[in-house]
Amino acid sequence: MRRAPRLWTLFALPGTTWLIALFAIPFYAVACVAFGTIDPIFRDAVPQWNPMSWDFTQASQTLASLTSGPLRGVAIRTVVYVFCAMVISFTIGFPIAYFLARHSGKRKLLFLALIIVPFWVNYLMRMLAWVNLLSSDGLFTRFMRLFGVNYNWLDGSPITVVLGLVYGYVPFLILPLYATLERLDWRLIDAARDLGANSRQAFRLVTMPMSKAGLVAAGILIALPMFGDYYTNDLLSRSPSTEMLGNQIDFFLNASSQPQNGALLVIVLSIFLLVLMSFYLRSTRQQARQTTR
Amino acid sequence: MTTSNFRPMQRRDFLRKLAITTGGITVGGSLLAACGGGSSTTSDGLSIGTPQNPIKLPVSTDPIADGLANESGTLEILNWADYMNPESIAAFETKFGVKISTSIYDTEEAAVAKLRNGTFKPDVILGMTDTGLAKLIAADILQPLNKSYIPNFGNVISGLRNPYYDLESQYTVPYFLYGNGIGYRTDVIDKSAFAQNGYEVLWDTKYKGRLAVLDSYRDTLAMAIFRNGGNDANSSDPDEIKKAGEALIEMREAVNPKVDILGYQEIPAGNRDIQFLWSGDMFTAVQYLPEGVDPGVLGFWYPETTVTKNDFMCITKAAKSPVLAHQLINFLSDTDNALLNREYVGYQPALETITVDMLLASETIPESLVDALVTPEKYEIGLAQVTLEPEVDALWLEQWTAFTAG
Repeated sequence: MRRAPRLWTLFALPGTTWLIALFAIPFYAVACVAFGTIDPIFRDAVPQWNPMSWDFTQASQTLASLTSGPLRGVAIRTVVYVFCAMVISFTIGFPIAYFLARHSGKRKLLFLALIIVPFWVNYLMRMLAWVNLLSSDGLFTRFMRLFGVNYNWLDGSPITVVLGLVYGYVPFLILPLYATLERLDWRLIDAARDLGANSRQAFRLVTMPMSKAGLVAAGILIALPMFGDYYTNDLLSRSPSTEMLGNQIDFFLNASSQPQNGALLVIVLSIFLLVLMSFYLRSTRQQARQTTR
Repeated sequence: MTTSNFRPMQRRDFLRKLAITTGGITVGGSLLAACGGGSSTTSDGLSIGTPQNPIKLPVSTDPIADGLANESGTLEILNWADYMNPESIAAFETKFGVKISTSIYDTEEAAVAKLRNGTFKPDVILGMTDTGLAKLIAADILQPLNKSYIPNFGNVISGLRNPYYDLESQYTVPYFLYGNGIGYRTDVIDKSAFAQNGYEVLWDTKYKGRLAVLDSYRDTLAMAIFRNGGNDANSSDPDEIKKAGEALIEMREAVNPKVDILGYQEIPAGNRDIQFLWSGDMFTAVQYLPEGVDPGVLGFWYPETTVTKNDFMCITKAAKSPVLAHQLINFLSDTDNALLNREYVGYQPALETITVDMLLASETIPESLVDALVTPEKYEIGLAQVTLEPEVDALWLEQWTAFTAG
């Protein structure tokens, strides 16, 4: 028994190694690029490995652009788009997950498979399919015209980008949410009903609080990739009026002579997401405390 | 740096869009490459030839000897997607009894980086431009050519037999030519609009939502400079650059343009009416017309003040089959082979022997696109685009960000 603690530490080794090799070191490398210099000949990044000689001039310019320059609009737009996409995702995803967990009965597996199967198809293929469906003579556009909706979906429209994000990530919301709801103790709801709550009250006062951790987890799970997404925008819009942070990172790293800017935006975005993550961790801890109480 | 996403050659839409994902991978790649650390070269910068100051590039090795036998086996080439006719590849393979194996690049920057770190080890590189050349020479990646293997060099248009970026053509043989201009639908816009308003047509609110510019900061900002009355495609004047950025923002507010390189599909498909693009795109566009649509709907305006460019072929120092590599360059500079190659690629070979009349006679070019052809005269008066000094480049990027950030 005395050896047990060491054994458990050993169990953490693969995970720790993974985290160091594939997160800590790369993240440090990103910082070294962000605060490094540019090769005068090849115009690519020369990372500065020694933090003592990090150069913050370019970074402060980019930060200034984020707070008061052209990148500010991009940052705000990114947050707004992701927020809208999340609201829609929840509106669509929660009822589905709820239905799956509560009412799908014997066909649960079938429904689950039906939701997952389309997502076996590569993301790009699905987006390219949408490009066809949404083009001016595409099926979807023509279908909507039947209802008098004559909209140029691929016209650099924010609606299309937000819906593209929703479409791309909503299954990743449904699955964890389903997992949480599935494990709910439904007897508690019956108890609530017995004690006089109507179904709406039972949902609000019992179901919602109990599924909060799942909601936050699922929300974070889709928010993280949405914030960094650039190819949904690239495929469905390509207009400056819908430019997101991911697009700017892509441009700076892949097609400009200022990769440090891209690296810095990666760091800024990571810090922002870290704040979101800590919110999640705090709320799950609270949840754990409540359930153990 | 001028040529990010610059090549419209990705004919298969699907391939191009895949490139978006590989772009994502490149991010990791370049960071990893950066981790290598050994790449930092301190120097005063690139030696860049300009039309005013042509450059004779340094030579560190001798070209291969005359009269060597062709190698057998495989010839490795590095090329843009769809930038060589598969039939031309097959013809070369049959003629020389070898295999050609092709690697693809989608930005010049990434190609140079991967050539430097050894990811790509081709014999021949196709489609490089002068901005990439300067870096390849600095990294000592190319070998000088032995012209005795390239008798067809005499076919090259005279203006490019001694180009400013490589005097005496020590390393390069021109491949394709193109100029920047405006592609449009003739069923929506009349040619006379350009005669009257020139570049201003791109700011016309009539085409709101139906208009695009190139996703290439050098090309599109230079266009805005020309629209503002300037004529320096490599301007270092902060005021001029800023005004160009403001003009693009004005355009964004007025017409909500797209910023991409897809004009060659979107115009023939009827999804947009007008785009600032590379002239060669419109020839590619012909192949994208829906069945039964008259190619006459495709038009091109070749501005008087605009950028003309060419790209070229070159051979790496580490080439395993240098003789075959010379043979390929010679093969592609042959008039008939170049015509065959053009049929697929769409762009115009940089050969004097391929005249405008010849191309029209081939009946692959609609009358309405005659203006998109780069004649030797147009090439002469076209403006060159050269690598910018880092500080100047930063000014351009700043304006581009202001525009694309919406």
